[in-house]
Amino acid sequence: MTPNHRCDAIVVGAGPAGVAAAITMAKGGLKVCLIERGRLPGAKNLFGGVLYPHALAEVIPDYAERHPPFERPVTEQGYWLLSPDSVVRIMHKSVHYKTAPTGAYTALRARFDAWFAEQAVQAGVLLITKTTVTEVVRDARGRALGVATDRPEGLVQAPILVIAEGVNNLLTQSLGLAKGDLPPRYVALSVKEVLALPAAEIEARFGLAGADEGVAIDIFGDATLGLPGTAFIYTDAKAISIGVGLLLEELIVHNLKPYEILARFKAHPVVRPYLAGATVLEYGAHLIPEQGYDRMPDLVGDGVLIAGDAAAMVDAVHREGSNLAMTAGRMAGETALEAHRRGDFSAAFLRAYRTKLEESFVLKDLKQYRRMTDFLDSTPHVIGTYVDFMNEAALRYFTAQGMPKREMEGEILGLLRGRRSFFGIAHDMMKLLRGLRG
Amino acid sequence: MTETPDLGAPRIWVLIEQDAGQVHPVSWELLGAARRLASELDGEATCVEAVLPGYGVRHLAAEAFRYGASRVYLLEDPVLALYRNLPYALGVSRLAQTYRPEILLIGATTLGRDLASTIATQLETGLTADCTELTIDPKLRILAATRPTFGGNLMATILCRKHRPQMATVRPRVLPLPEALPRGATGEILAVELDLREADLPVRRLRLIPGAERLNLEHAQVIVAGGRGLGGPDGLTLLRQLADLLGGIVAVTRPLVDAGWISADHQVGQTGKTVRPKLYIAAGISGAVQHRVGMGDANLILAINRDPEAPIFQIAHLGIVGDLHEVIPELIRQLQTLRAGDSP
Amino acid sequence: MHTIVAIKQVPDTTHVRIDPETGTLIREGVPAVINPYDRHALEMAIRLKERFGGTVTVLTMGPPKAAEALVECVEQGADRAILLSDRKFGGADTLATAYVIAHAIAAIQVEDPADLLLFGKQAIDGDTAQVGPGVATRLAVPLITYAMRIESLDPATRTAIIHRRIEQGIEVLETTLPALLTVEKEIATIARAPLPNLVRAAHYRPETWDATTPVPFDPARIGIKGSATIVSKAFTPPRKEPGERMSVAESGLTRVVGQALQRLVTAGVLSSAPATAPRDESNA
Ligand SMILES: Cc1cc2nc3c(=O)[nH]c(=O)nc-3n(C[C@H](O)[C@H](O)[C@H](O)COP(=O)(O)OP(=O)(O)OC[C@H]3O[C@@H](n4cnc5c(N)ncnc54)[C@H](O)[C@@H]3O)c2cc1C
Ligand SMILES: Cc1cc2nc3c(=O)[nH]c(=O)nc-3n(C[C@H](O)[C@H](O)[C@H](O)COP(=O)(O)OP(=O)(O)OC[C@H]3O[C@@H](n4cnc5c(N)ncnc54)[C@H](O)[C@@H]3O)c2cc1C
Ligand SMILES: Nc1ncnc2c1ncn2[C@@H]1O[C@H](COP(=O)(O)O)[C@@H](O)[C@H]1O
Repeated sequence: MTPNHRCDAIVVGAGPAGVAAAITMAKGGLKVCLIERGRLPGAKNLFGGVLYPHALAEVIPDYAERHPPFERPVTEQGYWLLSPDSVVRIMHKSVHYKTAPTGAYTALRARFDAWFAEQAVQAGVLLITKTTVTEVVRDARGRALGVATDRPEGLVQAPILVIAEGVNNLLTQSLGLAKGDLPPRYVALSVKEVLALPAAEIEARFGLAGADEGVAIDIFGDATLGLPGTAFIYTDAKAISIGVGLLLEELIVHNLKPYEILARFKAHPVVRPYLAGATVLEYGAHLIPEQGYDRMPDLVGDGVLIAGDAAAMVDAVHREGSNLAMTAGRMAGETALEAHRRGDFSAAFLRAYRTKLEESFVLKDLKQYRRMTDFLDSTPHVIGTYVDFMNEAALRYFTAQGMPKREMEGEILGLLRGRRSFFGIAHDMMKLLRGLRG
Repeated sequence: MTETPDLGAPRIWVLIEQDAGQVHPVSWELLGAARRLASELDGEATCVEAVLPGYGVRHLAAEAFRYGASRVYLLEDPVLALYRNLPYALGVSRLAQTYRPEILLIGATTLGRDLASTIATQLETGLTADCTELTIDPKLRILAATRPTFGGNLMATILCRKHRPQMATVRPRVLPLPEALPRGATGEILAVELDLREADLPVRRLRLIPGAERLNLEHAQVIVAGGRGLGGPDGLTLLRQLADLLGGIVAVTRPLVDAGWISADHQVGQTGKTVRPKLYIAAGISGAVQHRVGMGDANLILAINRDPEAPIFQIAHLGIVGDLHEVIPELIRQLQTLRAGDSP
Repeated sequence: MHTIVAIKQVPDTTHVRIDPETGTLIREGVPAVINPYDRHALEMAIRLKERFGGTVTVLTMGPPKAAEALVECVEQGADRAILLSDRKFGGADTLATAYVIAHAIAAIQVEDPADLLLFGKQAIDGDTAQVGPGVATRLAVPLITYAMRIESLDPATRTAIIHRRIEQGIEVLETTLPALLTVEKEIATIARAPLPNLVRAAHYRPETWDATTPVPFDPARIGIKGSATIVSKAFTPPRKEPGERMSVAESGLTRVVGQALQRLVTAGVLSSAPATAPRDESNA
């Protein structure tokens, strides 16, 4: 390989994982080249919108002074169980959210990623945009030497590569670390819209005291036609983020179009009033890898580390991904620094990366929920059934004036059994517990 | 230029653009506007005059008189036989320095755009390009030139307070073609010498590769226009079918040209052509001001748009709120039935 | 061979949206791009450099943010980039803009005389097409507008043959050099920039010139002061009385189209007037 550019480390992809890795290595003194195919970092990226700054703080301790473009702190969060005509809300609001050292913030990727990448540039990272890495260049023994890009004179050489290419992990696959494309049962498709609304209007509708309060809601049940999947509504500074996500397999089997599901969700009688008068600022679709702990790609190769969505580091149960990505990126960066110190870039040495991840929440959490997708996949009716039940039960419960309470309770139990046999219910509970316990 | 000019009366000048002895009609349109401006200024006291550069063009002065010029400055010289920026600009600028017109109007053609800015720079004065309206500011008694401003749905009126002449360019067909006076109307021809030698000129025309037959959108009677609502190049096929039935020409908005679906000579609007057909069908066109200034003077505008709030409905005489992919095929169908019933 | 290219950063009009309520432009979030014609001008300059060697200088007058556009020019292959930025330059019309650019080009040429000056045929934010001719005139170099091809160029004899689009066809002109061309997109197709250019651009900081350093500009000829024209008022075009409107959803397709055709017939705009009106088949 006669490279057109040489550096100490190459990072592919300027998402949360890649930027965290790049900053970590640059701070450790390496010459880092971060390559992103988008016009700007974040230009092509999309997520729901809740960021957990604990992971950010470990990459940039003084991040707060650098004015990250957060939308609103999350001061209230929880779940809506939506039936076709009603909702049971389980929301938690606390004054402690405002004082807790690590909270959560809503954010928009186009702005956040650009800011995050700018921090990398300030740390000395060479950021190359509008450039796609097309291939990992390897020697005869399979060791990574660098990358080829889609630019003329586009070969870049480095002894170590961090691949943070996101869910569409073509490079990871080309290295044989991931086994081909994800089967549709392990990947969710999410569509999202950002709807502009004046701040005061958002605050009035969601009961927020001001710009320093925000809501994050995850929604189950009718939002996804009772199928496994979730919808979400998050408040941004002057907009509402709203979206739905379903396993690709469900979309295929039921021949559903994600935008139609979102349109249907937006028109739901409970949801609609929140959105009235809002105009669409942007919309997009994105995949979420949900294959879980047991089907993750290998995380290391000779001269290569994989981080973030590219390695399926998503905790679908808690809709966490960006924080796992940042933490993994940082650990990949730390490992690359050690490798440089030792001059050893072999897969055997780089395995230290996996060990770090195992000791952190990243792999611990992923391990715990390893059966969640399977559970939902094998019990697709479960969400719709229980959500509808909750709503009907609530209606009976709250409108049962004049009826003996014991009779009412009996009716409610009858409602449940009418939907699912006793054994069915017991079975669901067992599986759910296993899904949650790992 | 030996004559000592009489600077008494204020003058409005119009540049007469000609190619091989053919005057570009925009020059007559401008003379019409100049006459209106003169009367808005102070009736008879202001002179409307024409500047005619070229070689062997003296006979065109008679036409200029018929469109209202009282005097024609004839700049005849072999170096002006074909348009070139430098000799044309020098000729007009020197003349303007001598006779100090208040206002100088030029057509916003390829030639006019090339020339006007050079003259404005030589005279260190202001130039408002592509105006859609020219009036006299009632208080300041100076030219108020109106043009669409950048991007927004806004028009801006631009003044040139301190510098003279006040210069403006106007696209062909934006202004109405005035009635010509009967033959025999006369005026004064003032032949002016141009002191330039071919050897001093830096640019020479080697040859002209004639263009293909030009699309005469400007003078079409029926125009069937489409915008982004067409959805793709296929939509243009539909448009062409309708245009063929109506004996009309297809026109488009700028995004379609930018997308490369059709050549730029089909574009209507501020940066395209200005049209005045009897019928203008606007399908899937939102009606941005840059488009409207090119077609707002059509006799009858029929808009088809599925968005009832589309601004195009504000200027359409007749509006259909509906999907053009349904409405146009139905139009074609009914037209065909109509025509079939027509011919026995 | 030294080519100077003037570029302008403009809002990407393909992203321009109109506020439906106020009818005004929403500028927020509209990405800024290099004026498309200018990118082709720059590409032409790069081609000439590939062929004859030499350098390409780009310059722009604009706010500090316009430095981004210059960095993009370096990505594309420019060697040197100059940002003319000063509050005092603000509010300039084309007369004042052309003065600043011409004066800057003259200053650049003191050290490094140019063989060619390239401009876009117009900037898509205002479409005036005046700045190029204005600069050529001030610098007293030959002007060729709407240039679409350089047939030949010889730095030794200092002549070039240029194709220019005019209404009658394509005019082939011979000019002496240096000359100023304002170009159409066909002048050069934009090639994908090689990676080393991007690496260089990542570290490149354009030179910034203000109204006094490194060259003083005449304060009376820049910005608002140096402008001959002023915008006296801006207004939304007066709304006409809206015409008749019909809705397919309300009245049915057949009926609506039938009625519209009827109107066209009455107005006499259809070439052949039918004897009978179309039958109304709609039952809506
Ligand atoms: C709808 C939705 C909602 C979500 N909600 C949340 C949430 O609320 N909270 C949360 O924490 N997480 C959430 N996530 C998950 C989170 O977005 C991801 O886990 C996270 O972005 C992963 O980061 P990454 O850096 O691994 O990948 P990405 O963010 O996908 O970044 C990959 C980058 O690599 C670039 N790239 C890819 N291939 C190449 C190549 N060959 N050459 C050059 N560049 C390349 C891409 O352009 C991209 O910029 C959500 C995801 C979705 C889709
Ligand atoms: C300096 C400058 C100069 C410009 N010059 C010009 C110019 O010369 N000419 C010009 O045209 N523009 C010009 N523009 C661009 C102008 O501002 C507008 O962007 C453009 O005219 C919009 O084109 P459009 O109406 O096709 O597209 P849009 O504004 O996107 O409108 C599309 C319309 O189609 C409707 N529609 C969509 N689908 C359907 C359907 N199935 N059936 C029916 N209706 C449908 C939509 O409701 C919408 O109203 C210029 C802009 C600038 C800044
Ligand atoms: N502010 C500016 N800075 C540099 N070049 C400019 C500027 N404005 C216009 N130009 C150049 O002049 C050309 C015509 O612009 P305009 O006259 O504004 O239509 C553009 O394509 C640019 O090449």
